Formats: sequence, structure tokens, C-alpha cells
Amino acid sequence: MALQLNLLHEEITEERQRKRDPLKLGVIALCFFGAILFVYYGWNAYQTLQIKGQLNAAQAEWNAVEPKTTAAQKRAIELHQIIDSTKVLDGLIEGRFYWAPFLAIISHCVAPNVQLTVLDGSIAEGDHSIAVTLEGVAAAREPRAAAEDLRQLLIEQLEKKYSTPKVTFKNLEDLDTLVNVSGVPTASARFVLSINLNPKGAEPTNANEPAKEAAKPK
Amino acid sequence: MTPIKLNKDQIQKIVLSVIGFIGLIYCYFNFFLGPLNRSRESMNKTIAELQAKTASSKNEIKKTDNLETEAKQATGRYEAFKRTTAEGAPIAWFPPKMRTFFSNQGIDKGNVRLESSADFSQPELSNWLKDSWVIDLPQSDYGVLGRAIAELENTEALTSVQKVSIRAIPDVPQYQQVALSVQTVLVKK
Repeated sequence: MALQLNLLHEEITEERQRKRDPLKLGVIALCFFGAILFVYYGWNAYQTLQIKGQLNAAQAEWNAVEPKTTAAQKRAIELHQIIDSTKVLDGLIEGRFYWAPFLAIISHCVAPNVQLTVLDGSIAEGDHSIAVTLEGVAAAREPRAAAEDLRQLLIEQLEKKYSTPKVTFKNLEDLDTLVNVSGVPTASARFVLSINLNPKGAEPTNANEPAKEAAKPK
Repeated sequence: MTPIKLNKDQIQKIVLSVIGFIGLIYCYFNFFLGPLNRSRESMNKTIAELQAKTASSKNEIKKTDNLETEAKQATGRYEAFKRTTAEGAPIAWFPPKMRTFFSNQGIDKGNVRLESSADFSQPELSNWLKDSWVIDLPQSDYGVLGRAIAELENTEALTSVQKVSIRAIPDVPQYQQVALSVQTVLVKK
């Protein structure tokens, strides 16, 4: 067997050591790993850019919708106000007391031997009840009976249109003077009637339906 | 396989590499990938919020459109109510209007004066004004008055007669002296 001498032993050892230099290997591994991380970062950045595009689209859509929404909200508030106001106004209109039908009933009840001198009517603020005072003179052989007839007729007629009408005498007194009824001197009585009624159920009159004259000259 | 014998210099280099690796990982996650992910999450959240707001807004616009259709009658009525108020101060136009009205009904010499003006207590009528007027009609026939009041009540929806006072005139028995207290609902100008 031939003797083999390795004269380059030290150089080979150095070369081997240089090849497996941990720092060099570490740098190579680091670069490799860094490259992987860079690619991963790039992928994430690409996805982020895509999301940013979606965000811009969503923002653009919102920018287009927002003014319309603000206008719609304002209009909705306005419409609600209009609806509420209209409801209250309708309530006011429907809750009105119509005096014309009432005056027509009064005129229908007044007989030729009765003359009304005063009619005062008002609507109470709180419960909207109607209070009317009628003053007048009734002439007949029994003038008090004529006044009572008027009261009864008023109750009868008002009951047809209003709920729970109350007609009461506040005053009824005989007068000393005689009055002429169709040329006949007749005894007379002065009366004051108080009428209280609830306006529920009142309806407007047709404007063409004339109210008859109540106060007739004797 | 021969075990790798590391000398001191090599161990130092390995330690240095490990430190460098840890530093790289730390920098990567904290200064690059972390902010990117946070930004992405934030954008996703914003997109979700915007989409929800947009959907809600579209729904609201649709509801308003429906409300507009439903409120068409109320809007028409409201506009009609508003038209009953003329331009200018009521004291300037309401008395002549009433005088003309009663004159057309055959009752002349009417005198109209403003008694009071107040706001409504209802919040729905904050834009409306409640005016009380006194209409004096010195000479009127009862029948004519009845027809005039009926016409007033039927044509002037926002006008209501609050008080009626009719007194016989002793010298002229066919006529009565009338005072009406009328309340009007007018738009604030």
C-alpha cells in the first residue's frame, strides 16, 4: 500500500471551516426566511390594497346616499309634523259647534205669541258645553203657560239633535201691561230661559237651508 | 458522522445570528405586518359600518317615500289650511274679508275688531296662531243672520263662532243687533 501524504491538510480544514461558517449559514438562512416574510408581507399588502378599494367604493356609495338620507330625514320630520298638525286641525274643525242649526231650532220653536228680545250663547272653554240665555215675552190668556210651552218645545226639539239638553227658567214674571196679539189685548209674562247642552252629535247645516225668523213683531 | 465541534468564534457567530433572527422577526411583526393587519382590520370595520349605514339610509329613504305617498292627503289638506291665511298681518285682511262676507250675505255695516291673539298649547300647532275677533252687526235680520252663520261655518273651516249675542232693537222690531265672537286659526307669518 502506497503511502499517501496530505500536504494540504491545513488548507482543506480551513476550507471546510469556511464552508460551514455559522455566521454565513445564518445569514443565508436569514435571507431565505426574510424573502419568505417579504413575499408574505407583499401578499398581505395586496389584500389590504384590495380592501382599500372596497372601502373607497363603500365610502363613495355612502357619500352619494348621505345627502339624500339627510334630505329624507328632514322631509320625514316635516311630514310627521304636517300629519300631526293636520290631525289636530281636523280635530278642531270636527269639534266646532255649529250655531246655525241651533238658531234654526230656536226659530222653529218660537210661536207667534212669543217674542225673543235677547239671545246670548257661548261655548265653555273647558268642556266645550254650550250655555245659552234666552230672554223674551210670552203673551196669552195664560202667559206663563205660553212660556212653559216654549220651554217644552225647546227641550223636545233640542233632544233630537243634542245630547242631554237642559232648558230651565231663570226667571218668569207676569207683566202688568197688556200687549196686542192680532189686535186683541193680551196678558204677558217676561221670561228668562237658560239652555245648557252638549255639542256632541252636532252637524253642520246646509247653507241653503234658511233659518226661519224667530223674533216676530206683535 | 463526526460531531461538529464549534469553537468560541463560531459559537459567538451563532449567537449573533440567533439575535439577528429574533430582531428580524420582532421588526417584521411589529413594524410591518402588525400595522398592515391593524389597518386592514380597521378598514374592514369601516366598510362594515359604512355598508350598514348605507343600507339603513336606503331603508330610510324608502320609508320616507312610502310616508310621502301615505301623507299625500294630509299634505294636501295642510296646504289648503295654510291657504286660508292671506299674506300680511291678519288685522289688515281679516276685518275687510268678514265685512265683505257679511255684506254679500245682506248684512251691512259690520264692524270687526281683534280681541286677542294667542299661541296654541298643543305643540303640533306651534306654527299656528289663535286669534279672537268680535264682529258687530248693528242691524241684521234673524233669518239672514242664520244663513250667513251657516255659510261661514261651512266655508271657513278654521273659523269657529264662540259666542253669539242677539238683541232685539226696540224701534226696529224686524232687525236685531248682533255680536259674534269668532275664533280663527291662522298660520304664523
